[in-house]
Amino acid sequence: MNIHQMSTEPALMSLTSVAKAIAQKRVSSREATQSCLDRIAQWQPRLNALMAIEAEQALAAADAADTALAKGKVSGALHGVPLAHKDMYYDAGKVVTCGSRIRRDFVATVTSTALQRLKDAGTIRLGSLQMAEFAYGPTGHNSHYGAVHNPWAFDHITGGSSSGSGAAVAARLTFAALGSDTGGSIRMPAHFCGVTGLKTTVGRISRAGAMPLSQSLDTVGPLARSAQDCALLLALMAGADPEDPTAVTGPVPDYTAAGQQSMKGLTIGVPTAFYVDDLDAEVARILDETIAVLKREGAHVVQVELPDQRQLTAACQLVLATEAAAFHKRWLIERPQDYGPQVLMRLQNGLAIPGVLYLEAMRWRGPALSAHLAAVAGVDAVIAPVAPVAAPTIAESDVGNSPDAEAVIQRLTRFTRAINYLGLPSLGIPAGFTASGLPVGMQLIGRSFDEAMLLRIGAAFQRVTDFHDRVPELP
Amino acid sequence: MADVAGVPASTEVATRIANSIGPAFEGFAPVAGTLPFDLEPATFLLVQAAKNNEKAAK
Repeated sequence: MNIHQMSTEPALMSLTSVAKAIAQKRVSSREATQSCLDRIAQWQPRLNALMAIEAEQALAAADAADTALAKGKVSGALHGVPLAHKDMYYDAGKVVTCGSRIRRDFVATVTSTALQRLKDAGTIRLGSLQMAEFAYGPTGHNSHYGAVHNPWAFDHITGGSSSGSGAAVAARLTFAALGSDTGGSIRMPAHFCGVTGLKTTVGRISRAGAMPLSQSLDTVGPLARSAQDCALLLALMAGADPEDPTAVTGPVPDYTAAGQQSMKGLTIGVPTAFYVDDLDAEVARILDETIAVLKREGAHVVQVELPDQRQLTAACQLVLATEAAAFHKRWLIERPQDYGPQVLMRLQNGLAIPGVLYLEAMRWRGPALSAHLAAVAGVDAVIAPVAPVAAPTIAESDVGNSPDAEAVIQRLTRFTRAINYLGLPSLGIPAGFTASGLPVGMQLIGRSFDEAMLLRIGAAFQRVTDFHDRVPELP
Repeated sequence: MADVAGVPASTEVATRIANSIGPAFEGFAPVAGTLPFDLEPATFLLVQAAKNNEKAAK
């Protein structure tokens, strides 16, 4: 691994740095774009992280951005910055596969609000990123397009469902990427690939034009190289949207300013149970080391007793499975043969959930959130592992539609789903490495709409650690 | 149940569904059937918004 700060390769810069460098004409958009394309050419055969590579169009757009800049025309905060995103964000005129065979040739007629806001800020499209089929899988396997490989160890999973986003950001093929998180799909690949990922509060970013999986749980969010990069992207995407009535109105906080504050005087809670149970020894060690850094930086670390997370996790599964089955019911009837075996199995699970039980899970959401907020009333955020283990191998987690597949999936995602059910924000940050060189992340869990606090703590943590700056190297 | 939903499933698939979703039923069992009569799903949005306002007012 190497630490990139002294490198002159533009693709190794952070999103914040490259945007500034382009604006100041120290790096051209073409140089930044070509640098990403060069790395894509090197890494894609090993990672399978991209669904589509649009080199010529990207370079033409970069040249146009450079020409505009030379004339003093700046589109926005990310003028000329090349990005690629999870292949589920509709981009008018582009094929959006959603990682599926069913939508292999689907051409979007609208552009998603989140993507449009990044375009309005000046970003350029590099292509699109691989993902789990219909965003319904936490490992990175995809029976139609192949597994995405972890840049730190090619025979290990990336996590999913934002598998390509995690791998591409980790390998510095794109400066950042959109992911989505319904049951852990941003935080899992952030953890397994060693990048920073922000699962936003339900309602923080518009979901218009983003492929749905579960309307009650879906969230849009970025994977990037740092908390400060996530802050920049969130600031650009957050806010009300007439196309999505669930996107909250009201002012958008200054997330980048929040990321410049220290964590001195803040109180951070460590759960007394569930998130600290049955951890792999190296994950437990890294949790302890993370807590030590938080204390050293002036945070008060206290224990918090959270409500029963198993009930929340079960409620999440009931809601997710039912809503996903409802979205897919027509295709389940008309095209079941076009699903991968595991996704078909999991969608069929949703058909077996009684309507009354689903509605009970939805009705309990308010009291459950209320109980959680009461439990964390004395802390600014909670720190917990994202998963109990570092990335397993692709082979050992390739459970397909075997009888124990759901159990394997539930074990991997047992620390993420309760947060989705409660609709809370959570920031996944790289926190260490195992002895074998696999990254391990921790998640900071906040109150509803308090992403600023998580970004503040995450950025402060990253100012005194270098895990987020480490870059995998090709063998 | 799959038949009723209009998506017939084989016995094997039905068994697999039961094994997969069964733990969620068990996990939620302490809550199911215990919720107060007047509780409605939109309460979630009220709780979410209330905390948002409280933080914003600080």
